Amino acid sequence: MIRRLIINDFKSNRLITISTAVFMAAAAMMLGLTVFLFATLYSSISSLMIKAETPHFLQMHTGELSEEEIKAFTEKRPEVEKMQICGFLNLENGQLRIGDNSFDNNMQDNGLFCQSDAFDFLLDADNSVIRVSPGTVYVPVAYRNEYDINVGDTMYIGTEELSVAGFMRDSQMNSMMASSKRFLVNGSDYERLKYLGNEEYLIEYRLKEGSDTAAFATAYKDADLPCNGPAITYPLIKLMNALSDGIMVIIILLVSVVVLCISIMCIRYIVLTRLEKDRREIGMLKAVGISRMDIRKLYLSKYLLLSAIGCLVGSVSACVIAVPLGKGMRELYGEADDPVLVYALMIIGAILAEAMILLSVKRTLVSTEKISAVTALNGRSESRRSKNYWIPVSVIIMAAVFMMIVPDSMKKTMSDPEFVRYMGIGNSQIRIDVRRSQDTDDSAGELAARLAEDDRVDRYSVMETGAYRSFLSDGRAYDLILENGDHSIFPVNYTEGTYPQSEDEIAVSILNAEETGLEVGDSITICKNTKDGEAEKSTCVICGIYSDITNGGKTAKGCINDETPVMWSVMYVTLKDEVLPDEWMSEYSGGVSGTDQSIKIAEIAEYMKGMYGQTIRNIGKASLMTKSVACVVIMVVILLLMRLVIWRERRESSLKKALGFTASDIRMDYMKKLTFYLLTGLALGIVSGMVSAQRLAGILLGFMGARGIKFTTDAVSVFVVVPVLMILTSFIAAFISLREIANIKAYECLTTRE
Amino acid sequence: MSILKVKDLKKDSILKGVSFEIKEGEMIAIMGPSGSGKSTLLYNVSGMDQASSGEVYLGATEIAGLGEDDKAHIRLRRMGFVFQMMNMLSDLNIIDNIAFPAVHSDKKNQKAYYERAKLLMDKMNIGDLAQRSIKEVSGGQLQRACICRSMILKPEIIFADEPTGALNRAAAAEVMDAFMEINRDGTTIMMVTHDAGVAGMCERILYLLDGEIRGELALGKYKEAEGREREQRTMKWLSAMGW
Repeated sequence: MIRRLIINDFKSNRLITISTAVFMAAAAMMLGLTVFLFATLYSSISSLMIKAETPHFLQMHTGELSEEEIKAFTEKRPEVEKMQICGFLNLENGQLRIGDNSFDNNMQDNGLFCQSDAFDFLLDADNSVIRVSPGTVYVPVAYRNEYDINVGDTMYIGTEELSVAGFMRDSQMNSMMASSKRFLVNGSDYERLKYLGNEEYLIEYRLKEGSDTAAFATAYKDADLPCNGPAITYPLIKLMNALSDGIMVIIILLVSVVVLCISIMCIRYIVLTRLEKDRREIGMLKAVGISRMDIRKLYLSKYLLLSAIGCLVGSVSACVIAVPLGKGMRELYGEADDPVLVYALMIIGAILAEAMILLSVKRTLVSTEKISAVTALNGRSESRRSKNYWIPVSVIIMAAVFMMIVPDSMKKTMSDPEFVRYMGIGNSQIRIDVRRSQDTDDSAGELAARLAEDDRVDRYSVMETGAYRSFLSDGRAYDLILENGDHSIFPVNYTEGTYPQSEDEIAVSILNAEETGLEVGDSITICKNTKDGEAEKSTCVICGIYSDITNGGKTAKGCINDETPVMWSVMYVTLKDEVLPDEWMSEYSGGVSGTDQSIKIAEIAEYMKGMYGQTIRNIGKASLMTKSVACVVIMVVILLLMRLVIWRERRESSLKKALGFTASDIRMDYMKKLTFYLLTGLALGIVSGMVSAQRLAGILLGFMGARGIKFTTDAVSVFVVVPVLMILTSFIAAFISLREIANIKAYECLTTRE
Repeated sequence: MSILKVKDLKKDSILKGVSFEIKEGEMIAIMGPSGSGKSTLLYNVSGMDQASSGEVYLGATEIAGLGEDDKAHIRLRRMGFVFQMMNMLSDLNIIDNIAFPAVHSDKKNQKAYYERAKLLMDKMNIGDLAQRSIKEVSGGQLQRACICRSMILKPEIIFADEPTGALNRAAAAEVMDAFMEINRDGTTIMMVTHDAGVAGMCERILYLLDGEIRGELALGKYKEAEGREREQRTMKWLSAMGW
């Protein structure tokens, strides 16, 4: 009988039933999708890093290297499980070409690499260790889509040729946020092509389970071993891997929460309206002795069935949507380790969404207890408070606008040229990277001199980065990657204080400040290197704290002039307006000699695109999905709420008709009301979006080390796209709902039965 | 033997200490002008509403002091209800509506309850309406279906609130025939009505005014031949009471 009651109820209230199911399915889909993507990302990355046996500590080094010293240090460290020193043949991007694609504008350090014997394996599409045949090359999977590379294409390095045999996953450098990319070649090819590049070294360690990676990294530094290059640890690699796709997942999580809230709110309204409609029936059930609990169960069983349908539809939809959204993830990191577990977690996510909705329904159904049998049977209502059913329109439009503005704000902010300032990079037009070694020490100086004389250059600055040992006030040793130069020309964004203006001032990045507890005004002792090779301790004051995401976000800026070896130089250049950047850049590529391989030159916009293109594309995907979800939700909400309002005011509308109003007059009244509440919702949504959503997007970007960001509002999105989408969707839904007005008869108000 | 005993029942300022008894198998009518407290009396006696003070005994069970769920249980198992507005669940057909309270409380005996529902419907001459929707039957037919529902769990007493109030004369007569039929079978009935003709068919009439019982008319068991005479007698008595 309960089944018949439910089925008949569904049949006679199709729209309400479908709307409820849609809300339940949407909430289940979004939460399921979020869990699915989170689980896939986590599981795939973990699986890739386990199969690749990613090093726990990695020191890059350019220059001479004494294997004996490193081995001696390694033997003394009981936590070391395995150690290896691998060669990395750094190539000049100008020499690189695959098919018709030139790597001229690529800002990554691209180089050749041989498969390791012990660990840090490069893997194929099945996450198996690749064995490369002579004459072939495996290309980083991140480049496949970026350059549209196919198996069989030819890779040109200068005059040499290699055939692309496939694509490989690199657990260390997969993400475009990692600044290097490895191309896998056979050992014989590596040796043969050595003359084309500069060999760098990767000193890699696998530590025993439970070892302290950070402590090991400090011990390595303290041992004065080769360290001319960045050092990376396992957690940082994992973070870099997770970030570019993780941001998309976090945005989807945000959308899920908003959709869940909207669903709970709408379903609550549906239940309340239904209860009001069923007041007399509930009164009768109470009168004939059906207990309060049984009445609640009667209603709950209906929503339980709907939630089961919603859960099923939501889970299936989540699986379908997860395919395109997770494509990038699967390409980069491979399939999840345990797909069954991932799907199980997704279903648990969907069930969780339904459980939250059912909990809210259950709470709402408590109001059946307030319905008195006596008053209900007499046709009276306890509360004659007339609910304003239009307010939810404003609230839900506000929520929808809010959830659309967040990803757009992030996308626009990250695409904005000013964004580089939050990355620890000055907002110049062109960036020239010079990797320093003994052979190329002169070229940086010559290049700087040439810039000084070039009258096409409007402004430029030269930054030289070196590693400095420092001591905090408590005596703790701390290694700083310090960038020296004139920081006033292209200042980065300082969340506190300002740039260093004298030798006794340094600015530190937020992550460094957080780790050391340093604040503006604090002192730090820096070990400078004097000409005669002696270390000289000098006290510096922290003059500023800035936002940075380069080199793992742990950097410092100063203007120290000493003899500390320069690891790399960066020159920032802005040309005069009339100068064509492409022409200027081609002149400077290859340095002063024209054949200098240690120089990379690119427009900052391109550099940003290379580093954040993948993340921005992912945010774009999330933004598109958000807009689609928002439109569907708004469509259903307006359809539903208009229907409820028309139902509640049916007698009033009938009376108006009896008094001579036309259906169009009545429709117009509704449209005016809708427009008012719609515009109110839009205004509130835009204001809250611009204030809180940006704060939220700031938190998301904070995960990447960028803080104190001032947002660039995407005016087109906020003031045109989003309002137009909301108005169009709402009006279409309203026109559909308002067709019902034609069915209201003028005589209905005269009949006694409701 | 009394099946319902009401002692000094008070409800806010509507009922001011009402006391009366109903014997097993009796059919009594409560009359009085609008606002006199008739329906309030019925709701408080049946446990649908909570009285301010006083006692109500259904058999040996004191109802007024019970909790909501206990009262609901008693209404379900020991009482039947018929209302002026023929309240039924719009998503169920007639027979499902009749069987609903019984089936909902005791799913194991579903088949037996449906058989009883069919039997009751035949008795009320609406047996062919079993599968109809509640929108497809007349008011009189629907009220008879409501009487069937009130009888489904063989209650000790039926409370009827203006059961013919929304019906035309012919339909009202059909409904009263149905009540007479179940009363003849031994079911006690307490009915609130405005209709002197309907009240005249009851054994006893209590006249309520300003929340107090002001008079009582004992008519004895109804015989069809006395119908006209009982109605006139009732009218005369009511007139004397200030009706």
